[in-house]
Amino acid sequence: MDLSVQQFRSEAEQALLDLYERSVDALPGDASVAALRQSAIWTYAGLGLPHRRVEAWKYTDLRAAIAEIPPLLAESDAPVEDTAFEAALGKAFAQLPAYRVVLVAGAVRTELSDVQGLRDAGVEFGALAQMLESPPEWLMASLDTASACGDDVLIALNTALMTGGVALRLPEGVTLQKPIHLIHLDGADAPGSVYTRNVLVTEDGASATVLESFGTLGRAGVQRNAVTTVSLGAKSAIHHIKLQREALETIHLNAWVANVGADARYNAFQVSMGAALARNQVSVRFVGKDAATDISGATLARGKQHCDTTLVVEHDVPACESRELFKLVLDDEARGVFQGKIVVARDAQKTDGKQMSQALLLSETAEFDSKPELEIYADDVVCGHGATSGQIDEDLLFYLRARGLPEAQARALLIQAFVGETFEALDDEAIGDAFAAVSADWLGAPAE
Amino acid sequence: MLEIKNLHAKVDGREILNGLDLTIPAGEVHAIMGPNGSGKSTLSYVLAGKDDYEVTDGSVTWKGEDLLAMEPDERAAAGVFLAFQYPMEIPGVATMTFLRSAVNAVRKARGEEEYSTPDFLRTVKEKAKDLKIDMEMLRRPLNVGFSGGEKKRNEILQMSLLEPGLCILDETDSGLDIDALRIVSDGVNALRSPERCMLVITHYQRLLNHIVPDRVHVLSKGRVARSGGPELALELEKSGYADYGDEATAA
Repeated sequence: MDLSVQQFRSEAEQALLDLYERSVDALPGDASVAALRQSAIWTYAGLGLPHRRVEAWKYTDLRAAIAEIPPLLAESDAPVEDTAFEAALGKAFAQLPAYRVVLVAGAVRTELSDVQGLRDAGVEFGALAQMLESPPEWLMASLDTASACGDDVLIALNTALMTGGVALRLPEGVTLQKPIHLIHLDGADAPGSVYTRNVLVTEDGASATVLESFGTLGRAGVQRNAVTTVSLGAKSAIHHIKLQREALETIHLNAWVANVGADARYNAFQVSMGAALARNQVSVRFVGKDAATDISGATLARGKQHCDTTLVVEHDVPACESRELFKLVLDDEARGVFQGKIVVARDAQKTDGKQMSQALLLSETAEFDSKPELEIYADDVVCGHGATSGQIDEDLLFYLRARGLPEAQARALLIQAFVGETFEALDDEAIGDAFAAVSADWLGAPAE
Repeated sequence: MLEIKNLHAKVDGREILNGLDLTIPAGEVHAIMGPNGSGKSTLSYVLAGKDDYEVTDGSVTWKGEDLLAMEPDERAAAGVFLAFQYPMEIPGVATMTFLRSAVNAVRKARGEEEYSTPDFLRTVKEKAKDLKIDMEMLRRPLNVGFSGGEKKRNEILQMSLLEPGLCILDETDSGLDIDALRIVSDGVNALRSPERCMLVITHYQRLLNHIVPDRVHVLSKGRVARSGGPELALELEKSGYADYGDEATAA
């Protein structure tokens, strides 16, 4: 491959190009997909891995963080015990009633999944690898959505190397009574890389809750790059929810890219508690009027964990509403990053955008970096942002202890309460309870 | 039952309690009155174990044990209960969850069995009814959006659930209208028993019409300036605190 575009390449940056070269012939897809991959790897070759001088990656130096590029994780048909789900996701999520789809190394494990249930409910469902061999038009359109993310290296690498994932399409008016639970379970004895792409499409008036959970199977963590594109037709709704509870060796790179049609609602909710380094991107673009999005969630990090949440909301059309609320609990030397960009185009009058990030620092050495970016080109808009960071309120702590709660329990209760406020964004009580349970696990306190 | 000897305490480097002596025998209700800044609330926080209150001299013995050596939660387990003047609001913690955590923590520390869910609910329901507390209120986040009266009734509910041996009421009458005052007072009176003693801190005599004390102590400049029977409260109501160093009244 021609190395002339970029002057200097780190070993890992070169290794990614080599990985593509080695794997390209075996990657799934027809000629049109191959052309997308080729174009994407060129994008990457031109930019390299993002580092701190790239504004969108100011606080997360990926080039410095990635030293090695492990090979693509091979598909496996090794049995997965029920206990493995509980260990990876916590009991509450492992047992959550849902249409379950289990992905190991990106491949759908049909024997562990309820594909039939999904199809009976009226959902078009396919494993991505198979669908790429002759992609329907709606799938190509969604892949193009991601390609449109131009200089986003995370997404470009995903397009170049995606091996698996699922495509889900809800035809007009279809409403699901149960959530769809996409379970990404990976891990092996040796390190591996996993590139998955999920595609969600709701046609006009359709609605669904889609939960994506990420856990570790076995011992070693992986380098994960997972992208989901979401297209919402008019008056459709998606509640898109994520639990990231991967092993500490994991590098977790994740991007959700949503195009939201008129009168539609896209709610994204994410809780991150695993991985050494996690980057969570959510990009929402309003393409139809009177639509709304609520992007919220929580980060729980300790040790030397680094967790970056980067949101971009593009108000391209008038009268849309966006809400963002993220809460971070940071202990030890953990570092939490929140970047929120809201772009209001000149025609996007009557935009209503609000953003808030709050960090609770449990140690002197934890760090919170918050960067709001408001780019407003319209004149009749309401936009606001705020960020706070603080410690546990000693007066509240005293109140609880004066009522008999030992210090550790009182602290855990206050942290739970801090984080729990974000769970109110969830309509689904069972999922809210499941998040309360996994966050209580994290705190080492018994769930109420 | 409670024995305070020569208690000195500092807040932010300022001496607030200055050689306070007080003894409350089992079964008795003592009132502490005094002008603003005389150290009434400081005494309540020192007894409950708040961090920023530094005891520099003296002792507090509760049932023969050194109260000052205990952590706040250990004091709660040992039976000390402070009804706060300003109960804390904690968004994100349902009142019922809080009550259950507190009661079970205290029962566990006392070597008693934790309540089962139905038993706990039944107990709360009974006690809440006496205090005219709606069960709906208990599903809301702790004290968030509660009126002044609701907060104080909630304090008394906690007090009755935790079955303390020493009840400290810090200006419980502040912010209460006459109906709420009666409900709260009835709740407190229902807890009077030979095994229990109470310390009622108040600026006004009004509360003591409802919770009639065995003894009244007037606090001034961090020590007990005068002690007497319930009639002392009435006298203070007439004369004010001018004799006890309250400059506002004196002027």
